[in-house]
Amino acid sequence: METQVCIEIQQVSKRYKSSGEDSLTKVSLNISCGDVFGLLGPNGAGKTTLISILCGIIPPTSGQVTYFVDGNIITENERKSIIGFVPQEYAFYQELTPRQNLDYFGAMYNIPKKELEIRREELLEVLGLAKSADKKVGTFSGGMKRRVNLAIGIIHNPEILFLDEPTVGVDVQSRNAIIRYLQQINKAGTTIIYTSHHMSEAEEFCKHIALIDHGKVIAKGELAGLKAENQVSDLQSLFINLTGEEYRD
Amino acid sequence: MFKIFSSLRKEFLLLINDKVGLALMFVMPVLLVFIITIIQDSAYKMVNENQIPLLVVNHDAGPAGKRLVSLLDSSGLFKVDSQNDIKQNSLKSELLSRGKLLALYIPETFTAGLESNAGDVSNILMDDLGLEHDTTGQQKVSMPRLSFYNDPVLQENYSYSVMGIIQSYMSVIENSLMIDNMYATLDLGSKSEILKKKIISNRVHIDQIVASNNNSTAIPNSTQHNVPAWTIFAMFFMVVSLGSNIVKERVSGSFLRLKTMPTTFMLVMFSKMAVYVVVAIFQVTLTFSMGIWILPKLGLPQLTVPHNFVALAAVVFMSSMAAVSYALMIGAFAKTEQQANGFGAISIIIFGAIGGILVPTFVMPAFMQFASNFSPLHWCLEGFYVLFLKGGSWQELRYVFAFLGVFILICQIGTYFKLRLERII
Repeated sequence: METQVCIEIQQVSKRYKSSGEDSLTKVSLNISCGDVFGLLGPNGAGKTTLISILCGIIPPTSGQVTYFVDGNIITENERKSIIGFVPQEYAFYQELTPRQNLDYFGAMYNIPKKELEIRREELLEVLGLAKSADKKVGTFSGGMKRRVNLAIGIIHNPEILFLDEPTVGVDVQSRNAIIRYLQQINKAGTTIIYTSHHMSEAEEFCKHIALIDHGKVIAKGELAGLKAENQVSDLQSLFINLTGEEYRD
Repeated sequence: MFKIFSSLRKEFLLLINDKVGLALMFVMPVLLVFIITIIQDSAYKMVNENQIPLLVVNHDAGPAGKRLVSLLDSSGLFKVDSQNDIKQNSLKSELLSRGKLLALYIPETFTAGLESNAGDVSNILMDDLGLEHDTTGQQKVSMPRLSFYNDPVLQENYSYSVMGIIQSYMSVIENSLMIDNMYATLDLGSKSEILKKKIISNRVHIDQIVASNNNSTAIPNSTQHNVPAWTIFAMFFMVVSLGSNIVKERVSGSFLRLKTMPTTFMLVMFSKMAVYVVVAIFQVTLTFSMGIWILPKLGLPQLTVPHNFVALAAVVFMSSMAAVSYALMIGAFAKTEQQANGFGAISIIIFGAIGGILVPTFVMPAFMQFASNFSPLHWCLEGFYVLFLKGGSWQELRYVFAFLGVFILICQIGTYFKLRLERII
């Protein structure tokens, strides 16, 4: 059965006013519904810029991003209701508790009060935050904060979830909990677009990847196929093969 | 509706978690009103209520000196401290050592000199009328000089005002002596009293009218100045709480996250403004309550609240909006919390100083009075002055609202463009 395309990225370029060169150059990708799509690349490759464009935070300098639901193009407002975004930063209120944060962001997604309460408690439980649900997030460990960050991004059961390095700086236990839950929601139908520097994690998690370097897509496709094509056994070798070993700023 | 409620609730929760901000917004104005009102009360009383302390040394051998002292004393303007044992050459040091600001020295020949001058005037008049008069036995004494001492800390115009008052009493004594002398020369005896009464008592009277719309007799006192002044100061000090709140949300990425959600950023800004306007109203309620009920218990003047409550509400609202808008702008422009707190607090202190919060603008030099027009705190305070001291009509408040309106607009536009530049809006 042919899978439907969720996001179509056509010839997207981005040049910041402060920069003399493109951060992204004519990036074209199709992301299928239900996929776990890895946007991988060294530091400064343009991954976060691409995710920011896909989420509507910044506009592309040229090119187009189109979202589809059941094969139909959706509007910007409709897109906002179906996407979830988990940024690299702890983008929540450290002075508030996880419960208060989830209540606020959930309301911003227009979730009805009763439904929000049920969903909030479910997420707190699943992500191991129930016991600390009424403590200020500012007192939490890095791993717990990451889980709160994730919980906010998925409070409204998004159809498409963007994760910008969701496991950076967390311990093994928190990383496992996060990846396990992400696999679970992907099985339930959520499309995941994910960036990471953890190659083993990405290899375990992603079905398709796009390797970006210097703002350009240098490889894309099914992970197994790319490895075979480049005659490497793992993603890390593929990454080094294609991007080189020199340091990146 | 649930969305608006959640947004307001979030702002309220952030506010109550900001203990330092709350202390600055509520504890600081209470302490400032208490301390500064008590400190300034004696200074205001000196201008408004108290008599002017005056050390008088009367060495006059005749009655005129006593009459002058009596007139000064009975005027109610001076608190006369008569110390006739002091010698003139030690009067300067006595003035300073006794902590007095003003002193008057009446010389020994004061009466003799005045009488001699009155005799001269009388003789001229007799000569002009062609009437004979007896000049034998008339002793020539030169016109006396009073010596007025003042502490150099006193403003020059204050000393001139006091000298003017003394001079006017001197006119009374001199005129009286001249009339007595002329009547005596004409052998008209005690009939001079009628003329003296006509000349001295029946002078042009100046009616004093308070320039107030409701004929309010409220005069500036320490409470009427300090309660609104420090309330406004505290209102603007919300820049520390609200400014850093915005910086945190910008820097943490919460604002950007909201951009990916089906909500409008205006809701976020509206919620912030609404919560902090309510904070400002609470600040006014707190400090005004203190002025009405607590300060009088400490022997300080009671705050007189204006009758025009709608105008009062409008002034409070416009002042709150000015404070909130300024805090939003600082929060939008500052790169870090430290920048927002540091620049925000210092700018409010400077605005407060030039705006007449620390000392009223009328005691400032002319160029500083002009500069005060550029302080939003000055216009907020002016709004309260119009209400409290001039009975505040809408007509009077139009300049206040016009300036504050422009200030609010500039701050809101500045905030909008900065956030737009950062692609948050």
